[in-house]
Amino acid sequence: MKIRIDHIAKIEGHASFTADIVKGDVQSAQIKIEEGARLFEGIMRGRKDIEVPELGSRICGVCPVVHNFAGFKSIEDAYKVPVDNVSLRKLMMMGQMINSHSLHLFFFSLSDFFGYKSDLELINQYPEKTHDAMKIRDVGNKLVERIGGRTIHPLTPCIGGIRKAHDLKGLLEDCKKVLPLAIKLGELFVGLEYPDFVRKTNYVSLVNDSEYAVYDGKIKVGDKVMEPKEFYSKIKEFQEQDKVAKRTHFSEKSYMVGALARLNNSKDKLNSEAKKLLEKSNCNYSNPFYNILAQAIELVHFFEEAIKILENLGEIKINLPKIENTTGEGLGAIEAPRGTLFYNISLKDNVVEDINIITPTAQNIANLEDDLEEFEKLGGFKDLSDKEREDKIKMLIRAYDPCVTCAVH
Amino acid sequence: MSKPVISILSLTCCEGCQVSIFDLGERFLEFLTKVDIGDFRLIEGLPDVDKYDIAIVEGTAITDEQIKRLKTVREKSKYLVAIGACACIGGVQEIKNYRDKDKLIGLVYPNIRGIDNPDIKSVKEMVKVDIEIPGCPINKEEFFRIINEFLDGKTPVIEQKPVCEECVRKNNKCLLLLGKPCLGSVILAGCNAPCPASDFPCDGCRGPHKDINLEAIKKALKIKARLNDNDIELLLERFGKRNEL
Repeated sequence: MKIRIDHIAKIEGHASFTADIVKGDVQSAQIKIEEGARLFEGIMRGRKDIEVPELGSRICGVCPVVHNFAGFKSIEDAYKVPVDNVSLRKLMMMGQMINSHSLHLFFFSLSDFFGYKSDLELINQYPEKTHDAMKIRDVGNKLVERIGGRTIHPLTPCIGGIRKAHDLKGLLEDCKKVLPLAIKLGELFVGLEYPDFVRKTNYVSLVNDSEYAVYDGKIKVGDKVMEPKEFYSKIKEFQEQDKVAKRTHFSEKSYMVGALARLNNSKDKLNSEAKKLLEKSNCNYSNPFYNILAQAIELVHFFEEAIKILENLGEIKINLPKIENTTGEGLGAIEAPRGTLFYNISLKDNVVEDINIITPTAQNIANLEDDLEEFEKLGGFKDLSDKEREDKIKMLIRAYDPCVTCAVH
Repeated sequence: MSKPVISILSLTCCEGCQVSIFDLGERFLEFLTKVDIGDFRLIEGLPDVDKYDIAIVEGTAITDEQIKRLKTVREKSKYLVAIGACACIGGVQEIKNYRDKDKLIGLVYPNIRGIDNPDIKSVKEMVKVDIEIPGCPINKEEFFRIINEFLDGKTPVIEQKPVCEECVRKNNKCLLLLGKPCLGSVILAGCNAPCPASDFPCDGCRGPHKDINLEAIKKALKIKARLNDNDIELLLERFGKRNEL
């Protein structure tokens, strides 16, 4: 039997899915990407260094902040410049994570648990929760806007820091006020029933001894910890004929990035409320459906982290470093909401000679396809109707929070 | 009375304009109560309907399927609203039109067979557009005003004036006078000048307003911002506006 799911709704960008089921065994599972190629890595060449983060943020309107920062980090690594006001960048990242996670959790994923085909049903059934979700997103947006100059495609980041500090008054109070709503939303997700599907894979994310890593750190893959450069050099990026999105392997195998990977690798570094929430849950760290729960836990963590940063911020002074060298090679690695994002750049006299970008979804597609290849292991699979199987497949695809726009860039 | 049917079509782009609509927050939720949804893949997976009153289109059509879908959506709609730099002027992906695009695709993909690589076209170059709301991303306030005017049966317009007019009202320092390559004087206002307010020179995501003097701004960029001809070309290519000037 052939399965074909066209135009999967409620993901960023456009994708379909095809597979065969032969005697109850899922085979040839493929995510088909239906975006046009924009050739970002091609159009950036020959242009000036500062255009990389600006153009890069246009890869994705859902996570523009991390593309922007990964671009700047790659340039700063190439030029060997120190970075001023890192805490402001981290604070902006919290806003980015909050707005992206809350969008995915509430508006993309939650309907799957109730069988709604449209968010309008969800909104009508849960008006209060919908307003809570909007309030949570609003604060995330505000964090990005107040530091970055606007919510989508940030303006203030520059090589070596942040160009201009806008007034951040009121943000701390906003975060404190909304944290309980994030915890409430987290409890809702702790209480949901997740499909039973376990497949072991390697979980990859940044790790950092001093915090739950999102802005910088080393890479953890399975039990190994290494420099991002070492990991990057060992990623095998490949592209098959007719496929507009590349895939990646590490040690010949697929691996997973994103919230569940971060939780696997850094859960001991979570802030207290997020930790409490995790302890209340039955999180299965090898079940990709729990990526949804992992995002809900992270949402609480990121609010707590934003509060921490704001409480310790003090007066903001801009003291940008002097840039003397404008030639070199650099790597920017950062945790995007959907997983680790890499910008690898080569610059000569301020001008881009070469650039390669590896996005979280490009890394996750191979792992997702491998999950779907073994989807017959889903609890109760053989008793499901075709329609129910299709719904569960869509649910797993959405659980990864794929960003097709990022995957093709 | 039946509610107007709204559809949102997303072609190839970053989807930031759709996210901007979502960022209206409570106002977005209220908006949803005033309309019926025809097709809006970001929030629903229900079957499509036959007719739309207003179709909102973001992005550029690159694949054959996208081109077909855009034409179908046009046929089904009373009004078609193009939103964002991609739909209105081609967006950053149009930069490849000014380069050797066949060479660029080879730099990105080892296997180029089966990957569509046409010249990028804005939506108005493919189908009739009733109004364009430009910007990268759109200004959600401007979008909200225009869409509500449509719902009220009015004919919305965007006033032809430069970004400078909105910029001075915010008491921003003039970046061009400070030697920064700012295009505010030739770019269509309506964004409320967020970029210069962050010391980021306007680089023209909304495209030009009517009747600009291109040579005068080129001269100003040379003298004030010390750009050379190549720098100016790179700047005018951004967001695909070079062919609009």
